[in-house]
Amino acid sequence: MNKDIILSLAEELNFTLSEGEVENIVNEFHSLQDLLSLLETIDTEGVSEMVYPFESPLLTLRDDEVTHELSQSQALSNAHKVKEGYVSVPKVVK
Amino acid sequence: MNVNEAINRLKEIQSTTNACVTIIEHDVKTHEGVLSDVPIALKDNVITKGILTTGGSKLLSNYIPPYNATIVDKIKQAGGIIVAKTTLDELGMGGTGTASFNGPVKNPFDLTRQAGGSSSGSAVVVAAKAVDIAIGSDTGDSVRKPASYVGVVGTKPTYGRISRYGIIPYASSLDHVGYFTSDVRLAALMCDVLSGQDKMDHTSLPYPSTTLAPQLHDDVKGKVYGIFKEVLEAIDHPQTLKNFDAVCKALESKGAIIKTISMNETILRTCLPTYYIIANCEATANHSNLTGVNFGLTQEGEDVETIMTNTRTHGFGPLIRKRFVIGSYGLKDENQDKLFRKAQKVRRVIVNEFNRMLSECDGLIAPATTSTAPLLEGANMNVLSNAHLIAENYMVLANFSGAPSITVPIMPVDGLPHGINLTCKIEDEATMFQLALAIETCVKEGL
Repeated sequence: MNKDIILSLAEELNFTLSEGEVENIVNEFHSLQDLLSLLETIDTEGVSEMVYPFESPLLTLRDDEVTHELSQSQALSNAHKVKEGYVSVPKVVK
Repeated sequence: MNVNEAINRLKEIQSTTNACVTIIEHDVKTHEGVLSDVPIALKDNVITKGILTTGGSKLLSNYIPPYNATIVDKIKQAGGIIVAKTTLDELGMGGTGTASFNGPVKNPFDLTRQAGGSSSGSAVVVAAKAVDIAIGSDTGDSVRKPASYVGVVGTKPTYGRISRYGIIPYASSLDHVGYFTSDVRLAALMCDVLSGQDKMDHTSLPYPSTTLAPQLHDDVKGKVYGIFKEVLEAIDHPQTLKNFDAVCKALESKGAIIKTISMNETILRTCLPTYYIIANCEATANHSNLTGVNFGLTQEGEDVETIMTNTRTHGFGPLIRKRFVIGSYGLKDENQDKLFRKAQKVRRVIVNEFNRMLSECDGLIAPATTSTAPLLEGANMNVLSNAHLIAENYMVLANFSGAPSITVPIMPVDGLPHGINLTCKIEDEATMFQLALAIETCVKEGL
């Protein structure tokens, strides 16, 4: 992890970082490496990823029925700019 | 405690503790039920229709949701009155209560100390006796650790027991709704009120609401409390150990069996890095919708990209930005196998080992933390010590595995609140509340 990688990640994440923040992340990442290296102490050969706390038939299919909807005014109520019933943003194509 | 008394008390403690983002004076009862006229506080990551919901983030500091979280409707249907939205670490990410956009939360028992996090404000409003019930959320130990620091009951039922629809997420495979109560009986009642399958949340368990409160008792004759050996060994505070031992002896005198149970220490030491990677990676993805385009504290820009960048730069605190960078690093193609997928595999190894421990007892107990609440500036611990890696962070095991877990306050340490944590098998909240009530009874009886 170095400054260039951090700045590149921040750009992908759509925010900017101050020089102090970048410095802080670089320094912290060095000590974080010690922590993350503990993962290597575990043999995970043949172990599958656990993406859920337990195996359970939670993800059931459901009928494609509308059970909940927001009105247009509700959906737009928190938008910064609204024009003719749509969220308004600067022109994308100029 | 009635609603007016609750509101007055919330206002009274606000200037010293900063427990609330919003105090609500206008909520009205819509139904009669087991919570009729009971004032209840909600962590400010619980979506409330028409009421400011910030998630502890400046980016959402103007967000008025157009809908309710499922648990808000359930509380209202039971007759409850919402009196506050409470302060939390930004987006639930943090364990100190010092990382909210509206400032740090202070421990009511010592204002120089943390209340823990991220459900800091909810813990404080129960501890300060403003309300008897406050909702929180628990991704690593965000209900159960603050509960210990302020001396209240903190509960996290089984993963999926309570709907998460309308809860601003942190890390979806670890997030649980939890809550603080003034005692264990109320904790069981709240499980009954809040639980039940919700079609709006596909991770909710396919069962109806629990009915635990009516049959709750504290007879633990023949029940096996497993003592978490490695956690006890990692604690060197004499008062913490002495108090814990006294509780175990009292439980034994009630006919319970106390049995020491061990977990592979090498595996146990990987809990924190595993959590760190999984939680930050999931959070990075979850919060990509916070752009300022459809909602949030939008910052101007010449194009959509610039609006998003300006909004997220202005709206996220430095801790969140740092976590997103680390999460994004773990998700990069070249790092996924080594970090994110590796952590997910280690999680399975950890959970298998933890479930083996739970199979050897009715409930596993240990001091919730090594000692009392740290000072606001933070604790100074060796990050690779067992005290830090194990004793301060083992409660995340219940998030990895989804097991129900509860912190019960016991005797003070150095004059400040402290608690025991108890974790039981998946879906066995009945045993959890029974074993927890016995601990509470022992303490109330003076052991």
